[in-house]
Amino acid sequence: MPARSYTDVSDQQVVVFAQEGREDAYRELIKRYERPVFSLIFRMVRDKETAEDLAQETFIKVLNNIDRYRPEFKFSSWLFKIANNITIDHLRRRHVDTISIEGSPNAITAESARATAVTITSGGESPLEELESREIGAEIEKAIARLRPEYRACIILRHVEDYSYDEIAEIVKLPLGTVKTYIHRARQELRQYLGDLR
Amino acid sequence: MIEHDFDEEFVPIAAELQRLPYLSPSRDFADRVVARIDRLQPAQVAPVGASRHLELHQGGQQAVARRRPLGVIRATGRATAGVALIAAAAFMFFEIDVLTAILSAAVTQYAFTIAAVGTQIGAVVLGSETMAYLQAGAAQAALLYLVLAFGLITGYAGIRTAAQIAKRKAA
Repeated sequence: MPARSYTDVSDQQVVVFAQEGREDAYRELIKRYERPVFSLIFRMVRDKETAEDLAQETFIKVLNNIDRYRPEFKFSSWLFKIANNITIDHLRRRHVDTISIEGSPNAITAESARATAVTITSGGESPLEELESREIGAEIEKAIARLRPEYRACIILRHVEDYSYDEIAEIVKLPLGTVKTYIHRARQELRQYLGDLR
Repeated sequence: MIEHDFDEEFVPIAAELQRLPYLSPSRDFADRVVARIDRLQPAQVAPVGASRHLELHQGGQQAVARRRPLGVIRATGRATAGVALIAAAAFMFFEIDVLTAILSAAVTQYAFTIAAVGTQIGAVVLGSETMAYLQAGAAQAALLYLVLAFGLITGYAGIRTAAQIAKRKAA
């Protein structure tokens, strides 16, 4: 089957091609969402290897069950829902509530801690702006890492992924009121941790 | 851009959150995922004997191994051993007479045999999945009945022992 271009093709249509068994459609879905899914998971577990494993588990689960996808929902919501479930399960199994920005909690040596620490990349600013941006970004990452995992997922989905409260409630399988409370508290805590940004 | 539903103090933080970059997994991430998508893998013939509960797949690509009636033999053996142990304990501690012991052993043993044979017949008639569902509830019920039966036998033995002691004292 010749590979086709998926530019301007909606997620729903790509899913239909995947359901027909086209490998290029599977690869397109991975290409579209590997970074957002990996970023969400990484910000929740703060360990590159673990995040890769969990992201891989997420995609395998979703793509192996692609026939069960219901087109009335956004594909990305379904994907994030599975990613969130898998990550929360992992954190519960490991009893990890807070994470370290300086490196993975599993890192044994200083080198492995540095390797797993968050690296913020900039987007074409001047060296001074880039430095400031890096510093602010690192502060934000630090502050997110101090939040409870449930708050972390909600605040990232709201402010990084631009999901509505209803969509977040669907993704994290919590009542709408709980999601609003979590986001409100997460904002309060972030304001507290990032006082200097105001 | 999401609607502005937070106070002014959070605006710079919200802006910074939106500027957070996406992080990338390893370059071979997609290959590793695709390698584990079942539908994209060529059909493989499962080795016979790898699993005792192979099912018939479309096109007959997998072998079908019949289950051996080991369950009946095992269940009967376990029932016999269990009854023997209970009988020995009853003789030692409760002085139950031989007839009572043989009768209770026979009842218990027949019950297990009937249950085992019934399970096999049920599996043929109703299908193994239905039987597994029924057995999940039946196991709890059987345990309850066993506890009740044990209580009855123990109670009966206790009454007989008390009567014997009373007889001896009267004599």
